[in-house]
Amino acid sequence: MVYLNQAATTFPKPKQVLDAVSDAIANQPQGQFRSSSASEDIFDICRKNLGKLFGVKQYQNIVFTAGATAAANALFYGLDFETGKVVVSQTEHNSILRPAMNLTEKISEGIILPCDEKGYLEPDTLESILEENDNQIRAVFINHCSNVTGAIQPIEKLAQVCHKHLAMIIADFSQSAGCIPIDADSWGIDAFIFAGHKGLYGIQGIGGYYIRPEYSVKPFMYGGTGRDSKIIRYENNFEYEVGTGNGPGVAGLNAGVRFILDTGVENIRFHEQQLMDTLYKRLADMKGINLIAIPKEKRGPVLSFTVEGINPSDVAYILQNGYEITVRTGLHCAPLIHEALHTKDKGTIRVSVSYFNTKEDVDALIAAMTDITAGL
Amino acid sequence: MKIVDVRESRERCAESGWFAYDFILEEQVNKELILALKPLGAMTYLPMLKKPFFKIESNYYFLKGMEKDDFIRVAVHDKHREELDKVRDYIENLSVFSS
Repeated sequence: MVYLNQAATTFPKPKQVLDAVSDAIANQPQGQFRSSSASEDIFDICRKNLGKLFGVKQYQNIVFTAGATAAANALFYGLDFETGKVVVSQTEHNSILRPAMNLTEKISEGIILPCDEKGYLEPDTLESILEENDNQIRAVFINHCSNVTGAIQPIEKLAQVCHKHLAMIIADFSQSAGCIPIDADSWGIDAFIFAGHKGLYGIQGIGGYYIRPEYSVKPFMYGGTGRDSKIIRYENNFEYEVGTGNGPGVAGLNAGVRFILDTGVENIRFHEQQLMDTLYKRLADMKGINLIAIPKEKRGPVLSFTVEGINPSDVAYILQNGYEITVRTGLHCAPLIHEALHTKDKGTIRVSVSYFNTKEDVDALIAAMTDITAGL
Repeated sequence: MKIVDVRESRERCAESGWFAYDFILEEQVNKELILALKPLGAMTYLPMLKKPFFKIESNYYFLKGMEKDDFIRVAVHDKHREELDKVRDYIENLSVFSS
């Protein structure tokens, strides 16, 4: 079976991740704030490694959650938007779009920042929106790498525009983390969310967010932390990771992040780019395929295409059942970008790779697509 | 053609308002069976594939499958779930097709 649905969740995971998760379950639990003599536990070690990967000095401000969606909701609930407006890009995943459009008690309006026909965002377009809504935009949410087209956004320039207009920028690194070098501090990112089970090679059910120390976040949830148990009403020194944490998830995530740091994000990106280059060259030449083509330097490890005359879901069905190749089709939980791509009715066929995919995997997809398009 | 089991499909179509089921067949799908399904709706047939693919669409349901598989996927629209039984009856009333 060839797995080319890495943007949904990566498979396989590095052996170190499997071992770390297994050890976390098999071995007697560490103290983790509860009677522990250890000076640093796996949560803090993982935070420190994530800080290196994301380029944030204040790594202590990374908070673990049950995933990127939980992280996004924690920020939407916890930040004080003063019932003002927020901007969300047209490329966003529903983990951002749905909170932005439904938390009407916190947000007066969610303004859409439009993208072009490839899924790109233009800093000038953002600037126009911020100028039109002078001082009313509290935050701008940007998906760093589209989970539909793979387009990598000019996030540093977008951050500059946000700060010029006193809006905070919150990045979604779910699709780019571990695949594309990230330098959040130097880019001026105020907060970001990440998923642990995609390019970070952790298991499902772990993710998190980071926010700069100057921003105040009210907790999304309250509960036990194993510390200061006598305090039942907080004045301001909130705690965010309440209840028993996902230790095996964090252990696996830490092993995944260590794997990436040891391998080098640049090396991972180089390998994935080579696979994407082959896919781009071959699919673009195929009759009947409409490839949403992204220039090489702006391309993440994801691409989308449609086939003339065949429903995307049927292409996926044929690939799965006829060729044992797994891809994903549909809207990919990012409905608005399809209006720009002209694919809102049936969506696209999405192919995504990881460091563990091979040239043979890509060749298998190309051979299958050659068969499927032969009769068109 | 005997349907030995009906399973909810792992491929969830609920997001777009469709609910999919796999009809598990007593025998493998072959060309004769595919052609016999034609009265159920508009047919797409891709015989040039390694495993030929077919799809039959009506307003309220669709069927798709591939030759040599032992199942057919049937999806019905949420508001027309009763169509599933009609499709099932149609298939079960077909003569047995030898693979």
